[in-house]
Amino acid sequence: MIKNFRTLFSYRELIVSLTKKELKVKYRGSVLGFFWSLLNPILTMLVYSFVFSIVMRGGIKEFAIFLMCALLPFNFLSNSVNYGASSIIANSNLVNKIYFPREIIPLSIIFANLINYFFELAALFIVLAVMGYKFYLFLYILPVIIFVQFFLVAGITLLVSALNVFFRDLQHLITIIMMVWFFGTPIIYPLSMVPEKFHFVMKINPMTIYTAYYRNIFYYVKYPEGAGFPGLPETLTALGITLLAFFVGYFVFKKLEYRFAEEI
Amino acid sequence: MNRKIIKYRENKFKDSKNNTAVDVKSVSKIFRIYHEKIPSLKNTILKRKRTTYEQFLALDDVSFMVNHGQTFGIIGPNGSGKSTLLKLLAKIYQPTHGEIMVNGTLSALLELGAGFHPDLTGRENVYINAAILGMKKRDVDKKMNEVIEFSELERFIDTPVKNYSSGMYMRLGFSVAINVNPDILLVDEVLAVGDQAFQAKCYKVIYDFMKSGKTIIIVSHDLDTISDLCSKVVFLKDGKIIDIGKPLNIVAKYRAYVEELEKKRIIEQQKAGRKKIFKTVIENNRRVVKGEEISRLSNLSTDEEVIRRFGSGDAEIKSAKLLDEKNKQIDFCKYGDTIKIVCEILFKEKVEDPIFGIMINDPKKNIIYGTNSRLNNMKTGWFKKGDLAKVIYKQKVNLIGGEYYITLAVGYSDNKTYCDWVNNIATVNVINKNMAEGIADLDSKISFEKINQKE
Repeated sequence: MIKNFRTLFSYRELIVSLTKKELKVKYRGSVLGFFWSLLNPILTMLVYSFVFSIVMRGGIKEFAIFLMCALLPFNFLSNSVNYGASSIIANSNLVNKIYFPREIIPLSIIFANLINYFFELAALFIVLAVMGYKFYLFLYILPVIIFVQFFLVAGITLLVSALNVFFRDLQHLITIIMMVWFFGTPIIYPLSMVPEKFHFVMKINPMTIYTAYYRNIFYYVKYPEGAGFPGLPETLTALGITLLAFFVGYFVFKKLEYRFAEEI
Repeated sequence: MNRKIIKYRENKFKDSKNNTAVDVKSVSKIFRIYHEKIPSLKNTILKRKRTTYEQFLALDDVSFMVNHGQTFGIIGPNGSGKSTLLKLLAKIYQPTHGEIMVNGTLSALLELGAGFHPDLTGRENVYINAAILGMKKRDVDKKMNEVIEFSELERFIDTPVKNYSSGMYMRLGFSVAINVNPDILLVDEVLAVGDQAFQAKCYKVIYDFMKSGKTIIIVSHDLDTISDLCSKVVFLKDGKIIDIGKPLNIVAKYRAYVEELEKKRIIEQQKAGRKKIFKTVIENNRRVVKGEEISRLSNLSTDEEVIRRFGSGDAEIKSAKLLDEKNKQIDFCKYGDTIKIVCEILFKEKVEDPIFGIMINDPKKNIIYGTNSRLNNMKTGWFKKGDLAKVIYKQKVNLIGGEYYITLAVGYSDNKTYCDWVNNIATVNVINKNMAEGIADLDSKISFEKINQKE
């Protein structure tokens, strides 16, 4: 495993190169470039804000901010998984002709999405600053959370990208699973709205914990009455599940990797 | 203890004491050929069974060694496992059995421009492609100009590659690949790039690479290239090593094998092809063959010799002989001789008033002379099934020395369709002491007189 990581490190320039390619290809051909990538979260925010603070009146103050600080990290996950799933097949010409550690393909997609996420966060910071949030107070926690979340994203993306080579219809299933996951995570609602008896299930989901952290950093600095959650046991559980997901994803990927070229 | 079988060992830092570059030890590769086109989760879960597949042995217990500085050629017919072997060496496939040891950095040119993204410019793709092939960015920066210059794409390097022609695409791919500079280079039939001038450049690069003491493993169908470049050659067939050794011996062996195969194929094809052509001509008989179609069919080059014969088959030219005036069989004659071309024709169907024809060509396929029974105002009458006809063409050979080809035909009375037409059925060598130029000896008599100019 350590040997694998060392090999991966020796291929760092390829990862950088492919990540750049992903970003370039994504933004090529549009003058507005990456602003298009902001359009999606902004539109989502507008729609949900309309529904939840005007139509259904959930009573959450500044719902747009409340939503964004959980939606952006979840988008990082779901975009990586959705794009990553088909990445091996999409790059079959490479897989068939040149050797390099195959995890570089899904990893470069994750990194491209991570960079995209950073841009979105930068945009969020501007909005927060304008709205008078003291988001800089706990900002030092942010890198840690992103780092930990990265392993969750990587594990799941590696797993689905490898399995998708052998089961091509997995892709459709993943879209549905990601939607269920989205609504099963307190993103458009706070955890406090969920009946107590479901909390146990909700807290097994590491994204519940991570979005709670994001919200603590960004949103609850202004409204501290909602802060406090998550505690140490929940955090450790999330961490454990994240590591498990990462190692399972990684090992499954490595196990199936050498058959990719024969299957596609 | 869970002991892992190491199937592929590589040593990135070339061990100079060890002179072996690549060591392949009894490697086999078995592919699964699935009966289903696309595997799906739905089928696996719903049908509760593993998808069925057949096993295909692509490589069968292959062992060989390549030393540093050697150029190693792999030859063999299609489907013999050459590319599979290269992919195993390149680590793209994993061997089912056996072990591969690689000593030094290895780079594979299995496809030029693999991974080029159409929307990115040539320059951007060079960076990505070089990184995929294992180059460091600062090395690419240094070599960028060389790469661009070599590819001859200076004007287009900042254009998206989707606008490139396939030749430009390949040229850029090759230029990147040759600048990677590994210890061991795997080449799969990629030298057929661009125009003649560019190909010559590519060969020069490969030669330089060889001279600098690098190891090359090359797969090619071009046997001249193989015997030119390689110091050791392996001949693969059906996944097995037939022979391994000096290029001249192995290439000769492979050539013999190919020729044998070709002969068989031609015989098979001649059988099948003749039937086919007979059939088309029978159909053509109904709709009357157009003039140009006849000239197409009758003007076949020697490499299309398989179909140098065509016709409905209602009559068949069984034999053709060249005889001199004393009825002795000959294959050459002197200028001015009269020779006889005698052929036997067997009728397989009833044919009314057939036309017997002859045509004489030079090696450049110019028609020197052609005539037939109709042009000679002959009525040939009825022939019924089983009749045998003997046709004699008596010919005065007023030709300049050289080789001439005789074509014979039996046509239907419409003078448009044929029972049988055989190109170049016989060859005659003409000896002529008169060293004139051209084809026909027009029997020139040259005379001159001196005319005094009058005042």
